[in-house]
Amino acid sequence: MPPSVVASARDLVKVYGQGPTAVRALDGVDVDLVRGELTAIMGASGSGKSTLMHCLAGLDRPTSGSVVVDGEPVSEMSERRLTTLRRTRVGFVFQAYNLVPTLTALENITLPLDIARRPVDTDHLDLVVRTLGLTDRLGHRPAELSGGQQQRVACARALVARPAVVFADEPTGNLDSTSAAEVLGFLRRSVDELGQSVVMVTHDATSAGYAHRVLFLADGRVVDELRAPTRAAVLDRLGALTGGPRERDG
Amino acid sequence: MIRVALRGIRAHLVRFLLSVLAVTLGVAFVAGTFALRTMLGSTFTDIVATTTLGDAYVRGAHEAASVTGSLGSASRTLVPLDLVPALERVDGVELVLPDLQGPAVLVGADGTAVQSTQAPSFALAYDPRDPALALVAGHAPRGPDEVALESATLASSGLALGGPAQVVLAGEVRDVRVVGEVGLGSALAGATVVFVDTSTATQLFAPDGEVPSIGVYAGDGVSEDELVDRLAPVVGSDAEAVTGEQVRAETTASIDRVLGFITTFLLVFAGISLFVGAFIIANTFSMWVRQRTRELALLRAVGASPLQVFASIVLQAVVVGLVGAACGVLAGLGLVVVLRRVLAGLGMELTGRIPLDGFTVLVSVLIGTLVSVAAAAVPARRAALVPPVEALRDEVTVPERSLRRRAAVGVVLLVLGVGCVGLAMARPGSDHAGALLGYGAAGVVLGVLAVSPVLARSVLRVLGAVLLPLRPVGRLARGNVTRNPRRTANTAGALLIGMALVGASAVIASTAQASTRAIVSQEATADFVLRAPPSSNVPTQALDDVRALPDVRAADAFANAALLVDGSSTAVSGIDPGAAGRSIDVESVAGELGPALASGQVAVQRTSAEDHGWSVGDRVTLAGERGSRTAVIGAVIDSPAFGVPLVVPESLLDSLVPAAQQQVLTVFVTVVPGASLATVREQLTATVRPYVVVTVMDPDEFVSELSDQVDRVLVILYALLGLSVVIAVLGIVNTLALSVIERTREIGLLRAVGLGRFQLAATITAESVLTALFGTVVGLAVGVALAATLPTVFADVGLRTLAVPWSSLLAMLGLAIVVGVLAAVGPAVRAARLAVLEAVSTD
Repeated sequence: MPPSVVASARDLVKVYGQGPTAVRALDGVDVDLVRGELTAIMGASGSGKSTLMHCLAGLDRPTSGSVVVDGEPVSEMSERRLTTLRRTRVGFVFQAYNLVPTLTALENITLPLDIARRPVDTDHLDLVVRTLGLTDRLGHRPAELSGGQQQRVACARALVARPAVVFADEPTGNLDSTSAAEVLGFLRRSVDELGQSVVMVTHDATSAGYAHRVLFLADGRVVDELRAPTRAAVLDRLGALTGGPRERDG
Repeated sequence: MIRVALRGIRAHLVRFLLSVLAVTLGVAFVAGTFALRTMLGSTFTDIVATTTLGDAYVRGAHEAASVTGSLGSASRTLVPLDLVPALERVDGVELVLPDLQGPAVLVGADGTAVQSTQAPSFALAYDPRDPALALVAGHAPRGPDEVALESATLASSGLALGGPAQVVLAGEVRDVRVVGEVGLGSALAGATVVFVDTSTATQLFAPDGEVPSIGVYAGDGVSEDELVDRLAPVVGSDAEAVTGEQVRAETTASIDRVLGFITTFLLVFAGISLFVGAFIIANTFSMWVRQRTRELALLRAVGASPLQVFASIVLQAVVVGLVGAACGVLAGLGLVVVLRRVLAGLGMELTGRIPLDGFTVLVSVLIGTLVSVAAAAVPARRAALVPPVEALRDEVTVPERSLRRRAAVGVVLLVLGVGCVGLAMARPGSDHAGALLGYGAAGVVLGVLAVSPVLARSVLRVLGAVLLPLRPVGRLARGNVTRNPRRTANTAGALLIGMALVGASAVIASTAQASTRAIVSQEATADFVLRAPPSSNVPTQALDDVRALPDVRAADAFANAALLVDGSSTAVSGIDPGAAGRSIDVESVAGELGPALASGQVAVQRTSAEDHGWSVGDRVTLAGERGSRTAVIGAVIDSPAFGVPLVVPESLLDSLVPAAQQQVLTVFVTVVPGASLATVREQLTATVRPYVVVTVMDPDEFVSELSDQVDRVLVILYALLGLSVVIAVLGIVNTLALSVIERTREIGLLRAVGLGRFQLAATITAESVLTALFGTVVGLAVGVALAATLPTVFADVGLRTLAVPWSSLLAMLGLAIVVGVLAAVGPAVRAARLAVLEAVSTD
């Protein structure tokens, strides 16, 4: 794997169920995700985009094929090593319920470092918190934050441990367009300014427009790719894939 | 709505399982208590029915004292044996049998006394005409050196029919031969029964020609009432004739009264268990309501009324209660069956009937269901008030309700409780002190339960601070237990109650022990103490033998009996007047104990004197089996060593109560000056050995024996309280398990950001331990504080020296940690097993 690739999958197959009812969610996927880029994975419901991300992140085990993250063979790891991987190499941003309600925003942000018993790099923390505009929200509990603020805290948490790659699963799915733009803008800046690698699953063309590169999935395969996308270009490709342009294909 | 409710239970069966178990345990206790009561009751009723066969009984016309005899019958004045020939001459009388019985000690094949548990051991006259007795093997005893044994006694003694044996009868050791086996026709609950021939029995148990009663059997065609009518003119004014029916009814009634006390005692603990169980049910339902807010709102949105929502939850509670109670009744029955086996193994045979009646089942099921419904009522009300709009909210946030109202109620209860306790402490002598203390204690415990969520926040912050260095486990655990202080407090509430009781019992026990020690070392000046176990006696012959030893200066026996003092039954001690100043040193408030007794006067305890308004020079009327006398109060003493209100000279007691009705458990021995204590001890031990039941102790051993008795009571208390602690543990398990389900997403998130399985399990264990420690610390504090007031309130009954058993309390804290860890095992494993992906994508 060349150093410019942060995560890769080879001939990845994931089958759910057995016998006649078996579903091939992933049907031989080969991808290389480039370090220092924001990659968006798009596709219709059931295209396998979430399964691909879960396998890449070590949250789910592929039926066959291999996954390598930051040089580590994820698909062969034990649960214990996967835990360590999540602590050190990977960051997550989920669609919702990203934060531990009993901890303050700051405690949530430093949680991965706490778990790994690593010291907090205060300069880096300051930088992340400032970039995200969370400086005056650090003492608040999640319940006292707006949805957008909660997702920004989640992003800060994913970034503060400087993981090799951040996986974001529909990070703006629950947000209004203004908050979504803030969060996506930040994810892009974290790539451009902090050199972070981010992989984002989305079904929203506007979100995909923030990415360096968009992978299109259909029926468990990578069917297309777009570099430096615009919203219009993404919609165009989606339209070609599904037989007509649509704003959302949920 | 019914379908929704039932589906709700089926879908979340596991969540309700521990609630059901809590009800089961509490109800099992209730049902077991009732079943035990029924079983004991029918055993004793059987004994009465098979041994009290007479058609009429002639007995003393006056009650002596309501002291309970071997079968719990009230004792009365004695009747002369001379009446027997006259009774036999009455028309229609077929058989007249005087009641000839007395205490006996049978020495078994192993050289120790044949005695099981606390059951009585006595000798009866064997009359071949007695319809209650059936000769099973051998022949009837025919002289002073022959005895027959009751079948169960023969079996447990290990003695052989035809072989030699030793019996202590009326205070004398006798070498006898076992010549027969006699059946009494019912399980005897472990009583040891020896039969002697009638003339020996008359000689031993009616030396003055007087017996407690005479049984009369009618010929065919004479009813009990007719018989009594015919006997009445013959018996004279000092005796009365009553029907057999009446005697059996009176005996059964007094047995019921005694069993009633036992039942009440056990039911108190069953009640505590159910109360504790109610916490689990309430917690389960409130968590269920919390999790189902959206579903409940949906029901409301599609038209369900608040009442319907309320009813659907109450219905679930009814199901939980019914299922739990049904299991509980079975478990209680099983418990009693096991108990019967165990008791039978110990030689206490009980009746074989299945001790379960409709009443027990009905009461148990009703109690289980009511407790369950009552516990679910508050959560159900909250559920009913969920506004339909909640269904539309994207994210359901349940606002933490203010604790202010609950805290206010708690503070009011606390103030009232502390006030009552304060009043009790301020006026310890008053009649209401005990009741005030009881109400006060209840108020304090309920008040603490009410304010415990507020306490939980601060106490847990402090307790949790210890764990903070364990990052991130400590911070997460502390956050979780303080997140919802109401739930944490309710979870710990069950343990709090149990631990308050344990703490109070421990303090009471050690206070009692310390007080006993202080009393004995203060008042007992004897060199040795002879002791017989409860329900036996120090034989009179042993006393004579000991007194005959050259180095023994005196052996002062404490003879206990009950007399009617001015008409009310009172426990009295009879002593040799010379004992005062010789083997006991008693503080006199007025007059002097020794001189007073020596001149035939009596001494009363200060507290009794205050209650009755007695002072030195007053006269009291004393009545016993042998008649009544008037005595002058010669001294007022303040002596917890005499645990009785009245001390009389032994000659006076003898004139009122026959020796067979006196109980001598303790004898203080003093030695002549200059004698070697070690030698005397050897002599004493050798002297009392033949009497089997008597032990020789020095004052230190005496104190520790008394302490051991306290310890034995404590063990029973702990065992009974243990169940409420077990239920409390179930409560913690339940709450943790439910909160693991509730926090599935959060747990998934923590795992996703790298929390290891072990760390996760550690977090949940830490929560559990913190909760258990909170309940234990607060509970023990409450229990110890309340018990610490006892020496002030109850100084009069001898609780004078407060002792706090710090090591036991520390052990309880250790236990709390163990309890916390054990309770966390299931939920922690469950949480650690959650697949990260599924957890984060749970709705």
